[in-house]
Amino acid sequence: MNAITLATRLEATTLSRPEPLVSIENLQVRFDDVVAIENLNFTVGRGEFVSLLGPSGCGKSTLLKAIARLVPLASGKIVLRDPNLRVGFMFQKPLLLPWRTTLDNVLLPVEIQLGGNVVDPTDQSRARRMLNMVQLGDFIDAYPHQLSGGMQQRVALARALIGNPDVLLLDEPFGALDEFTRDVLNEELIRIWQSGDTRLHTIIMVTHSIPEAVTMSDRVIVLTGRPARLIEDIDVHCSRPRTPEESEPGLIIKRIRAMVRGGR
Amino acid sequence: MKSRVQAPLIAGFLVLAVWQAVVMMADIPEYLLPAPSVIFANVDRTLVVQLAVTFVEALIGFLIAGVLAFGCAIMFVRFTALEEGLFPIAIAVKTTPIVAVAPLLVIWLGTGWWSKIVAVILICFFPVLVNAVKGLKAADAEYRELFQTLGATRSQEFRKLRIPYCLPYLFSALKISSSLAIVGAIVGEFVGATQGLGYLIMVSSAHLETATLFAAIAAAALAGITMFYVIGWTEERVVFWHSGSLE
Repeated sequence: MNAITLATRLEATTLSRPEPLVSIENLQVRFDDVVAIENLNFTVGRGEFVSLLGPSGCGKSTLLKAIARLVPLASGKIVLRDPNLRVGFMFQKPLLLPWRTTLDNVLLPVEIQLGGNVVDPTDQSRARRMLNMVQLGDFIDAYPHQLSGGMQQRVALARALIGNPDVLLLDEPFGALDEFTRDVLNEELIRIWQSGDTRLHTIIMVTHSIPEAVTMSDRVIVLTGRPARLIEDIDVHCSRPRTPEESEPGLIIKRIRAMVRGGR
Repeated sequence: MKSRVQAPLIAGFLVLAVWQAVVMMADIPEYLLPAPSVIFANVDRTLVVQLAVTFVEALIGFLIAGVLAFGCAIMFVRFTALEEGLFPIAIAVKTTPIVAVAPLLVIWLGTGWWSKIVAVILICFFPVLVNAVKGLKAADAEYRELFQTLGATRSQEFRKLRIPYCLPYLFSALKISSSLAIVGAIVGEFVGATQGLGYLIMVSSAHLETATLFAAIAAAALAGITMFYVIGWTEERVVFWHSGSLE
């Protein structure tokens, strides 16, 4: 397939979007005098895996934090279409509490939700199920310092999933890991998302890796740095599982690369 | 573990042996430098009682100071206005030498236990306060963001994040304070006391009973070392996830 037909196909597919779940409308975020995000508009549909792609420090993490209500908005709004939507967040660092075992780290969100109440056995078994899902069933009583970086990030994923979120916000979730581990964890994330074992249907992921964005997501939103502006919104309709080496994802990667180099 | 105990024991024994030999061969008079054997002969029930008095004063003051300082640190971090207002005063009190304040304590509190305990509290309070404030603020902003995304309250953030995160800082401060506690108690006893190691040191130096003086000094060192190691032992078990010390 040549670049022209690909481009036509990309435009054609934008017409059939799923119903919007999260809408970003005229969003502006500033820190004192610095504008981090300028006049940003896009929606994320229910069931989509959307990547926010951009260079380091371009404000994409800020955007994710704005969606999670961690930073105040200067103007514009972020609308969640379903008020009962549960949102999970996962950071680049595992951020495990070193004095807690794997199981207790996964139970942290439950404890916080319960306030002073005691965690009951159903929560315990749910935490165990989450740990089995991220292949850590045998490390329930281990402490973070006994786990590798990849395993720690698996615990963080289980912790993000225990609240049974509909939407998962991922801030370069495996960015601190080596490439081998990152590939494995990316595959697992896709597997969990597609499995239907959880309520999770929609994922918004921040990344600065073009191949990662293209192999993982249904849509890639390309942002420029500072302040963050949307330069392109690209649908990736290639069959899964994908690798960056295949021809179709490869073409999209090339196209995004050219676009980013063009400095648009 | 074995070599950790063995090496200092052997080194200590060698020092004592050389000391003994030098005193015997050079025939140094007892009032100048008593031989270790003479010092050991001076260890009696009185010395043990005086040691116990000083140790208990130091321990009580240390515990009160620890609880007070940690409580203050929590309030300081929780309410920053409090920290801004009181921290300069705290530093002013800290820079006042305890030796200068001790006579005042005796005037106010008498020659009994309390003047010593308060001296210990004054000297132990600040290292714990300063380190605990530092420790309570040490958790990365990212950890606090995590707690925010989980919808944690301020008090949950303190209980589940800041306080456990602070423990390594707290323990390193407690180790510093534990040796200072003995200093505080002895200074208090110097100024006005009828018992304790400080009192024993004053009396034996006045009478040129150098062997007793040495025994009292050794006992004071022993008390400090004991407290330091007990805290270190506790630290290893409480702060099991943290290796290496902070300052």
